[in-house]
Amino acid sequence: MSTQAIESLSEDTVRRIADERDEPEWLLETRLNALSALETAELPDVIQTPGRRWTDLESLDFEALVDPLNQADETERTAGDDEVVVLPFTEALDEYGDVIEANFGSVLDPEHNYLTALSVALFTTGTFVYVPEGVDVEDVTVRAEMNSRSLFSQTLVVAEESSSVTILESIETGDGEAAASGGGDDRYFSNLVEVVAGENANVQFGSLQNLDDDSYTYSLKRGVTDTYATVDWIESNFGSKLTRSDIETELNGDGSESQIVGTFFGTDDQHFDINARVWHQAEQTTADLVTRGVLDDVARSVYEGVQDVGEDAWNTSSYQRENTLMLSDDAEADASPKLIIHNHDTEASHSATVGQVDAEDLFYLESRSIDSRTARNMLVEGFFVPVLEEIAVDEFRDDVEELVLERLQ
Amino acid sequence: MSSQQDDLKETDTEARFEFKKEEKSAFQTEKGLTEETVRVISEDKDEPEWMLERRLRALEQFQEMPMPTDWPGQPDLSEIDIEEIVPYIRPDIDKRGGADSWEDLPEEIQDTFDKLGIPEAEKNALSGVGAQYESEIVYQNMQEQWEEKGVIFCDMDKAVREHEEIVREHFMTKCVPPSDNKFAALHGAIWSGGSFVYVPENTTVEMPIQAYFRMNSEGMGQFEHTLIIAEEGSEVHYIEGCSAPKYSAFNLHSGGVEVFVGEDAHVQYSTVQNWSKNTYNLNTKRAIAEKGGRMEWISGSMGSKATMLYPSTILKGRGASDNHITIAFAGEGQDIDTGAKVYHNAPDTKSTVESKSIAKDGGRTNYRGLVHIADGAENSSTAVECDALMFDNESTSDTMPYMEINESKVDVAHEATVGKIGDEDIFYLQSRGLDDDDAKQMIVSGFIEPITEELPIEYAVELNRLVELEMEGSLG
Repeated sequence: MSTQAIESLSEDTVRRIADERDEPEWLLETRLNALSALETAELPDVIQTPGRRWTDLESLDFEALVDPLNQADETERTAGDDEVVVLPFTEALDEYGDVIEANFGSVLDPEHNYLTALSVALFTTGTFVYVPEGVDVEDVTVRAEMNSRSLFSQTLVVAEESSSVTILESIETGDGEAAASGGGDDRYFSNLVEVVAGENANVQFGSLQNLDDDSYTYSLKRGVTDTYATVDWIESNFGSKLTRSDIETELNGDGSESQIVGTFFGTDDQHFDINARVWHQAEQTTADLVTRGVLDDVARSVYEGVQDVGEDAWNTSSYQRENTLMLSDDAEADASPKLIIHNHDTEASHSATVGQVDAEDLFYLESRSIDSRTARNMLVEGFFVPVLEEIAVDEFRDDVEELVLERLQ
Repeated sequence: MSSQQDDLKETDTEARFEFKKEEKSAFQTEKGLTEETVRVISEDKDEPEWMLERRLRALEQFQEMPMPTDWPGQPDLSEIDIEEIVPYIRPDIDKRGGADSWEDLPEEIQDTFDKLGIPEAEKNALSGVGAQYESEIVYQNMQEQWEEKGVIFCDMDKAVREHEEIVREHFMTKCVPPSDNKFAALHGAIWSGGSFVYVPENTTVEMPIQAYFRMNSEGMGQFEHTLIIAEEGSEVHYIEGCSAPKYSAFNLHSGGVEVFVGEDAHVQYSTVQNWSKNTYNLNTKRAIAEKGGRMEWISGSMGSKATMLYPSTILKGRGASDNHITIAFAGEGQDIDTGAKVYHNAPDTKSTVESKSIAKDGGRTNYRGLVHIADGAENSSTAVECDALMFDNESTSDTMPYMEINESKVDVAHEATVGKIGDEDIFYLQSRGLDDDDAKQMIVSGFIEPITEELPIEYAVELNRLVELEMEGSLG
């Protein structure tokens, strides 16, 4: 990947970012290692079929997009409870340096691919969430606005034994001139999230991405579970011109569980590359992957779901469903739900469908004197209900519903 | 050993495939692949210039293309060394293009096919039979009533000579060009043998036509080419059987199948593949279906060390339809990577894929499939269903479907399940006095039954017998 060398990307730049934040030596080293990994790291895997590449990351002009020293964001964080620690990532290093050092990169190797390495080398924002043993909090929110050409964010969630936390994260493009600082119109947002769920811990991480349509988004979130732990993800993508989103859970503890709920709604020429992956690596683990998306205009979606059941994952249950609704004839939906099964003591299934609004349903509503546009909108809203139901937090559900409605106007 | 399997021992199924014959050939090429090899094959076949040119062009493409190594989870092909393959062996027979009586064949070849039960089947249930031994068709016969109607069934070499125009138009041009993949290019360079089937307009060939392919020599490659042209309103069922005895060196089978389904025509292509477990089975099979045409692929993949086979159908005309039925069974050391490809390029097209796979004793099965619906293919529908059964945690069962949908007025569904043999089911059968082995075998038979019932009876029986064989012994 050295072909995409970014001019302003040098050891100096990385040192400056670390110095400005007064970061400990180990983090600077991690950043520098990530920087040098860029030489050899590859872009994330993209599905290829004969004659077709589902998402073209190669054509992204990183040189024009990445502006490491002018990153700006405005982020509002609320903890809702004193017992839980919710801090901007770099501020947390003073007090929680040890916890961060112990967990940083343990879930997600910074050198996983070119984009993760780039992100770790350059991140300036993000959040550290620490939930001590036995603590139960429901209202951690992180609302971020992106105010620069590029922004790299790094989030780490550590949930200790028998704790429980619900975190909602949202990202939007900020108003005004700040957003366009540095010239060019296109923007790049990179978001890495690591979740460490201790024994019997319960983490729900919801994310809502609604950046403007000049943005490119790369988001990789991965959780690891200890015994009896649960990591649930809700990943909602509405904004950006091009989104690559990977949500992953490694079920490493016996009896642990993960649910990945995804929604997307594409209009105009938006492109969503949505990936959900689960690795079952212990006994009695359960996974449930549910994704629903709607495509209008010439939008395109690409979906990959992977359920990987390891040799030692006895008594696994693993389910996956993906449904795409096409509102326009010029939209395109590609899907590849995969099962990789190495243990026979498994109950696994997946399904995927693509279709349009049911003509009979539409006719029924119209026969009740509802005009066709409203009828269609009602059916689209209804299409999202099964995934909305999985969202336990009202506020988050309302946000998603609102964004769906907005797009239906 | 259970009672049922004792019975099985007494049948000759196992012996029928395992026997070896001494190599006796009239002509064989050197190992390896050079331009010289290709020229020698073409010359030995006395081919027209254009075919030699096509071969040489394919050879060039083969040499340029890299080995496929970047497919996720694909079988290991590193053992394949083209330099070690004997690409062409002409068996010692008097008559080119195949004898039309089994008696005219050398005794050992006659004996081979007797053991495989081909002449017997011909008498009972087939319209025509072709038998290929090593690189050439040795026997070819078709019932007179079909010949009178203008149905052609002959070996490919003969077709190149006697039906030159039609072959020249269709042979590896618009259906499977050599540039399709590395092994299609290899096939294009050194193909030999195979069948040519031509069914005229509005003709129904009521009983199936069968071709049987047998590799006998160690380290050889078989590259037969099958070309089926079914004109408007015609109907034909083509059955292909394959086997080889096992040697220590690897064998390579890289066949090419091209099917042209005319308007409202119906072609069924059935294969039960039982290559020996040292064979790499890398085929390219493709059909193009015109308006209202119907293509059916039925495949049972039991043998081979590694199989990569994805029969594909291009639904080119309005209302064309496709039906895929596949069964894969991977035992110890086997990697069966198979599936289906369907391109919906016209409105009102339909496809269904049913796949059943069984993995045991460290074997791997993978369903790898692609459904592509082009923009404008309105009212198309596709349904893909994959079920896998696993016996142990040394085995692997993967499912990798790909769907590309460019059209909104469609109905697309994919479903897959993976599970183990239910303890309760086994317990139930045991409580009825069956032992463990018989119970498991019965459950497996039940699992694949929805597919075997689609097969012609002889093939269903054959497939069941092969499954029983695979199940035998390892369960004790």
